[in-house]
Amino acid sequence: MLILGIETSCDETSAALVEDGNNILSSTIATQLDLLKKYGGVVPEVAARRHAELIGYVIKEALNTGKKTLDDVDAVAVTSRQGLIGCLMVGVAAAKSISYARQIPLIGLHHIEGHIFANILSNPDLPIPHIALTVSGGHNMLVHVKRNCRYEVLGATLDDAAGEAFDKIAKFLGLDFPGGPVIDRLSKQGNRKAFAFPRPMIRSKELDFSFSGLKTSVINMFKEKIANGESLPLSDIAASFQEAVVDTLVAKTIRAVEEKNAKVVSVTGGVSANTRLREVFTETCKKKGIQVFFPKLSLCTDNAAMIAAAGYARMKMGERSDLRLNVFPNAPLGG
Amino acid sequence: MIVLGIDTSGYVNAVGVSDGRQVLVDQSFPARTDSLEQIVDNINTTLKKAKLKLKDVEGIGVGLGPGSWTGIKVGVTVGKMLAFSAEKPVCGITTLEALAYTAHSRTKLVCPVISAGVGDAVYAAFYRAGVQKGDFFTGDVNDLAALVKEPVILIGSNIKSYRDILVKQKPTLKNKITIKEALPSGAAVACLAATRLKQGKTEDPLSLTPLYLKESTAKVFVNKYKVKK
Ligand SMILES: [Zn+2]
Repeated sequence: MLILGIETSCDETSAALVEDGNNILSSTIATQLDLLKKYGGVVPEVAARRHAELIGYVIKEALNTGKKTLDDVDAVAVTSRQGLIGCLMVGVAAAKSISYARQIPLIGLHHIEGHIFANILSNPDLPIPHIALTVSGGHNMLVHVKRNCRYEVLGATLDDAAGEAFDKIAKFLGLDFPGGPVIDRLSKQGNRKAFAFPRPMIRSKELDFSFSGLKTSVINMFKEKIANGESLPLSDIAASFQEAVVDTLVAKTIRAVEEKNAKVVSVTGGVSANTRLREVFTETCKKKGIQVFFPKLSLCTDNAAMIAAAGYARMKMGERSDLRLNVFPNAPLGG
Repeated sequence: MIVLGIDTSGYVNAVGVSDGRQVLVDQSFPARTDSLEQIVDNINTTLKKAKLKLKDVEGIGVGLGPGSWTGIKVGVTVGKMLAFSAEKPVCGITTLEALAYTAHSRTKLVCPVISAGVGDAVYAAFYRAGVQKGDFFTGDVNDLAALVKEPVILIGSNIKSYRDILVKQKPTLKNKITIKEALPSGAAVACLAATRLKQGKTEDPLSLTPLYLKESTAKVFVNKYKVKK
């Protein structure tokens, strides 16, 4: 079964062809990095306009790269839940038009379920049940994947997502956008213990996250120095800040694992590409006898292949959406 | 030539079909917030009413706006992806031109007016015999008065209130303005597209983009949304 996946929930216009839920024939991603750099972040209307310009070309490119035509496509899977409303609308409008014109099934999916499947797609031997940490610029969630496509949300961010904190600190330090990869690179030359930043809510039993306090504490610690024109030890700040984020993410995830008596962790989303996060997760899980999995780097950030994979799993369970499929920007992860 | 026309720039889903000579069906579905939810159903219903299937359609006309930013993003995306997936020739038509077309005047100057969403801001243009005269107008309807120098048919939604504003601005216009209340029409888009498609003026469906008229400049949006992240 060949599924065309479409993902436009934030700032990547993406289409992919995935066969039988595990074989990626193509994955086309048009990033809006130029716009992000220009505006210093995602501006919803600007992003949605770019999606409307690019969507057709991206779908055509995915078909061409996969050496397929729409005749070969058996179903369309699209992100319809969680994201920026105008952005989601473009993807869903495209998906239902294709479904209607070709008389093929349509399925709308939750963006976070897509990220969970990015790791399943990368590691076919990833066992279920497991605890999934999804972490990016737009979301930050701990999910108990109980069975195939059955989830219990254990915690989420109360304010900034971890990736968002990376971006804001990078901006504060005058670094490039997006902040994640830059801070990751810079941290390799820095001292992780140079500054003792708070580990937000690390001792709380709750499985929710909060990174806005950490961000404020970093900024406050250095505002005075900046005002006095002192030079800042950028790589030390980056490394210490990153360590605080990583410690928090790992600690919360391990707490969830223990609470649910799980044996397996899946780390996914844009921040799962962070080298230090992977390192600490690998060390900690090894010590505790827990298996840990990360997606292929190409599947960490938003992409349509993960949506096609999730769509395949749901369709095998007999689920379909009808042509009235709508978007729900704040929908909880259900099912 | 059977042409399907869609326009979701206003607070309706306008869907119509023309056979190239006359209108077969012209439907207007209420869709203030659910353009996206209803549009494909509405297209299907409209085709059924004309006793047609999508495969019978020989071309597609897409209303490009201006109008609701969300509406035109949905309508243009649906129009182009239908054309791409069903392999139909396609033609984009501005909503202002389609409105002017529904005035049915071969000789008089026609001025379609569309609300730009906030206060007295409007989109407008002037047409004579179907040909656009001058640029698109985007701005306060009070400033439109200065551009009206001869008898004109004003056409659009809630059009009486626009006439009143123009006459108040420029009392000499009192007897020069006739009005016609009209919503965007899928059939008008279909008829205009049929004419163009018959002349071989097809477009690459993937290249169709909404006509916003108001630029998404950094200033407008940064002020409106306060950049996130
Ligand atoms: Zn994401």
